Amino acid sequence: MIKAILIFNNHGKPRLSKFYEHYSEDMQQQIIRETFQLVSKRDDNVCNFLEGGSLIGGSDYKIIYRHYATLYFVFCVDSSESELGILDLIQVFVETLDKCFENVCELDLIFHFDKVQYILQELCMGGMVLETNMNEIVLRIEEMNKLEKSEAGLGGSQSKAITAVKEMNISNITQKIKDIKLPELPNLGSIKLS
Amino acid sequence: MTPPVKGDGMRGLSVFISDIRNCKSREAEVKRINKELANIRTKFKGDKTLDGYQKKKYVCKLLFIFLLGHDIDFGHKEAVNLLVSNKYTEKQIGYLFISVILNHESDLMRLIIQNIKNDLSSRNPIFITLALQCIANIGNKEMADAFAQDIPKLLVSGDTLDSVKQSAALCLLKLLRNSPEIMPTGEWTTRIIHLLNDQHLGVVTAACSLIDILVKRNPEEYKACVSLAVSRLSRIVTSTYTDFQDYTYYFVPAPWLSVKILRLLQNYPPPDDPSIKSRLNECLDTILQKAQEALKSKKLQHSNAKNAVLFEAINLIIHIDSEPNLLVKACNQLGQFLSHKDTNLRYLALESMCLLATSEFSHDAVKKHQETVINALKTERDISVRQRAVDLLYAMCDRTNAEEIVKEMLGYLETADYHIREEMVLKVAILAEKYAVDYTWYVDIMLNLIRIAGDYVSEEVWYRVIQIVVNRTDVQGYAAKTVFEALQAPACHENMVKVGGYILGEFGNLIAGDPRSSPLIQFELLHSKYHLCSPQTRCLLLSTYVKFINLFNEIKPQIQHVLKQENNLKSSDVEIQQRSVEYLQLSMIADADVLATVLEEMPSFPERESSILSSILQKKKPPSDLANQQQKEEKVEKVEKTVMNGQNYETGPKIQTVNNNNQIDLIGLNATPPSNKTQTVLTSTTPVKSDQEALLDIFGGPVPVVAATVPPVQANLDSLFSDTFGVPTQRIASPVQEIPQFIPILSIQDNHIQFVFKNADILFENESIKILSKCEYKQNLARLSLTFMNKSNFVYQNFSVQPILGNDSIRVLPRPLDSNVLQSQSQLIQILNCECVNDFSQLPQVLVQFSCNGTQSRFELNLPIFLNKFFDPAQMDSQTFFSRWKNLGNPGQEQQKIFKANYPIDKDRNSQILVSFGWSSLSGIDPNPENFCGAGIIYTSTQQYGCLYRLEPNRQAQMYRLTIRSNKESISKRLIELLDNQF
Repeated sequence: MIKAILIFNNHGKPRLSKFYEHYSEDMQQQIIRETFQLVSKRDDNVCNFLEGGSLIGGSDYKIIYRHYATLYFVFCVDSSESELGILDLIQVFVETLDKCFENVCELDLIFHFDKVQYILQELCMGGMVLETNMNEIVLRIEEMNKLEKSEAGLGGSQSKAITAVKEMNISNITQKIKDIKLPELPNLGSIKLS
Repeated sequence: MTPPVKGDGMRGLSVFISDIRNCKSREAEVKRINKELANIRTKFKGDKTLDGYQKKKYVCKLLFIFLLGHDIDFGHKEAVNLLVSNKYTEKQIGYLFISVILNHESDLMRLIIQNIKNDLSSRNPIFITLALQCIANIGNKEMADAFAQDIPKLLVSGDTLDSVKQSAALCLLKLLRNSPEIMPTGEWTTRIIHLLNDQHLGVVTAACSLIDILVKRNPEEYKACVSLAVSRLSRIVTSTYTDFQDYTYYFVPAPWLSVKILRLLQNYPPPDDPSIKSRLNECLDTILQKAQEALKSKKLQHSNAKNAVLFEAINLIIHIDSEPNLLVKACNQLGQFLSHKDTNLRYLALESMCLLATSEFSHDAVKKHQETVINALKTERDISVRQRAVDLLYAMCDRTNAEEIVKEMLGYLETADYHIREEMVLKVAILAEKYAVDYTWYVDIMLNLIRIAGDYVSEEVWYRVIQIVVNRTDVQGYAAKTVFEALQAPACHENMVKVGGYILGEFGNLIAGDPRSSPLIQFELLHSKYHLCSPQTRCLLLSTYVKFINLFNEIKPQIQHVLKQENNLKSSDVEIQQRSVEYLQLSMIADADVLATVLEEMPSFPERESSILSSILQKKKPPSDLANQQQKEEKVEKVEKTVMNGQNYETGPKIQTVNNNNQIDLIGLNATPPSNKTQTVLTSTTPVKSDQEALLDIFGGPVPVVAATVPPVQANLDSLFSDTFGVPTQRIASPVQEIPQFIPILSIQDNHIQFVFKNADILFENESIKILSKCEYKQNLARLSLTFMNKSNFVYQNFSVQPILGNDSIRVLPRPLDSNVLQSQSQLIQILNCECVNDFSQLPQVLVQFSCNGTQSRFELNLPIFLNKFFDPAQMDSQTFFSRWKNLGNPGQEQQKIFKANYPIDKDRNSQILVSFGWSSLSGIDPNPENFCGAGIIYTSTQQYGCLYRLEPNRQAQMYRLTIRSNKESISKRLIELLDNQF
């Protein structure tokens, strides 16, 4: 079972947290901090699995993570999950985000934190994989967008606007996650950002 | 930075987010947030009603603030209000807020559940999905109760959209986690299992997760899923990657589903049905073969997905553990991964091999990779991987490679990461013990272990070293020599001092012949460490010193000098003080014989597996190990808990923990039962009295300091004799098997049933107590005397026998006991006067209690008093008998039983049984001479009851018919019961 899904940036700032078991708010923050500390001190070319988190699940607990550009994507799971399967799931999540946001970057996760949650809800539910077929997820999100637009009564060119902002802005935060082709060339992922 | 504007126009939100991002400091951020919170609060409380959009915006802001790590304690009601909205986006935000923020015990829960119910019954699938997502997020008991019916229906209904079905499956799974009682059974079972055949692979994947948890709850009920799962798997494995279109992930067909199915199958033993079994084996073989094929893509995703399936297949092969062919193939595949360039694969290969090493079929195949694994230990950069390598080395270790593996692990220990050192120490200690052939090797390894990682050597480990040295005479001299050498290092770990102190105290004499390790040198070497050690270790060293006095009389003055030193005699540590005083007195007063007895070498520890070590290690097994054996783990943990409880884990020798038994055995006064009370010992009349008094005299001298802190004399005795070297005895191996220990009696199986036909016999006997019962009866009265004989060497204190109330039909009045102490090998007699008030079938009982050695025995004893005991036999002639017989013809008065003969039908025997039962056996009454007839009167305080019987044997059929008539139904019934099976 997936116990939690966390995204935080290179400085430990949480960008998404989703817990599939009940933890108090304090505990949630502690888990995020602990996980960041465990993950951030690791080199980028070591393995993507990690034990030693103390706050969730005791010995039956593994952290499976991936580092993309400015962001860490972390899945906290128990031993009933396949490590490589989860690793692929992270990839599906990122690719889906990329499709939904057209070259996703950290900024998208900040301004559209609600949308990220919705995308995640299509991927996982109650701590289990719900859908792994990326096209299907994207389709559902697009339906959602259509509804949203029709309800707002605007044909707003949201995505275009964001893209424009991203192209203008040279801050780290708009670094396209996809551009850092981590899976193929893991070394590039280790670019350290101040 | 310019904020991007969201298309749907929640501009306020974007502005707010930008503001937060522009804050230069944490304080500024908090200030901005507080301002916003105040604003939202006013809006929510304000007179103006907010429209849906505004509510949505504010709720969304609150959500954002919450996700930044701030507490949100309002807005819940507004969020719930959004659920009522018909607008998807508003509903969506409402649900999101509830899912993320809402506490499980919210008082809004009923309202939420009502809204969810409405959405679930909506025609709009997108609303249904929102509702399901919310249930899956919260999934508490209330929701389980509310939706236990609806969700399974959604799940199996033909009208439900695939995407809704997927959600429903996982939603049900979530509810089941918290509320196992809603487990669908019966007709649901088949329908749910058949989801494995669904066209839509997304549905199958979700269903697979659901079935997995259902199977874990009730494997029998869901057994049918095995064959469906195997055929589904087979269809996936044999397909090409083009078959599944969207569910093919980087050329691998449905990898997630394959993994799920392979996991599901690990819940069951290999299929019984040979065709299913062979199909499954084919699948597994195919997966292994595909691993050898060239990659279809260079992308990492492709090999990841492929290997995810492969590793799960290997897990299943290991789980099945009966296909040597597959096991060896799996092992070879993993062997390739051990040197793969992808760190993840090396990690996983080590992890899976750990499991393979435990299978008899593949253990040897795993061993072939020993060198690679050792190499991994040395060269891997990643601690996660190194840890797996340690686990694997531990798992693959056996007698043939133990020396090398232990050597490598010891070597690694010097540079190992701190947080795995303790675990490694345990592993090394266990392997060294388990596979030691030559115990000098064991001693070397363990001392090295303490030298290299002394801080990580737990008490259990060094206790165990001592235990083994004490038990193996062949290694004692070597151990003494080696610790002596180890102690010569300028800086040596305190644990080394402890082990050294103990071993030299016991076996220092074995090396004393060598002038380089003469008694004085040994003593001075140990004492040079004394001032650096903790009080606990000092106490141990003091015991070593007093043992030296016995071993080497020539250094007695030096030792006495140390004991006399102010910092010992007047130490602020009570234990040090007490030991110094006592040992000093002992060395001055006792003669050589007494010293030799008191300070004798420790007896061997009971041989057994070091349970503490193995259980501690069990706990630290890698989680993957545990995945397949979660139940085992629970058991282990339970066992471990009991072990922990049973052992005294306080550090340092303690007077209070001392067991009285040790003391006696050490001094060799077996004849005297130990006692908790000083008086008993003092007034004991056993023949060894004089010895004991002599010992007590030792302490007759003024020992004011001790007396002040530990008043009872007994405490002194305890601490001195038993704890001289009692530390490891107490902690590692409890002396249960070693020295007879009194086991409290908490329940007994007595022989009361044989008293139906007799009045005196042994009622109960075990190794510690014997109970005789003798009873006399007169009409409705009985006088029972119970003789309790103490067969043990212990004294039973506070002995009492009390009737258990509640049986009004028979009154039991105990006479006072002569004494409440039952001495060893002696007896106490308890007289009980009983009165039969009414007929009864339940035996009267007494509660016997006594304390012994700090344990409390307490058990119920049946008094062997049966209804028939209150019989008086009646003589009568045939006519009277049959006229009375006829008079007792009302329903219920007659009870009859027909039964098979248990014994050869023997007239004399039967007659004897009937007479000893208490009534008459009248001859010449029944027209059939084979039959028995008789009568008796039962006396109770209230009434007398006449009883008649007729026993008719049938020799041909080897059967009896027993008929009893009395004027009370319950009496007839009881008498039949009592005579049942007696003929």
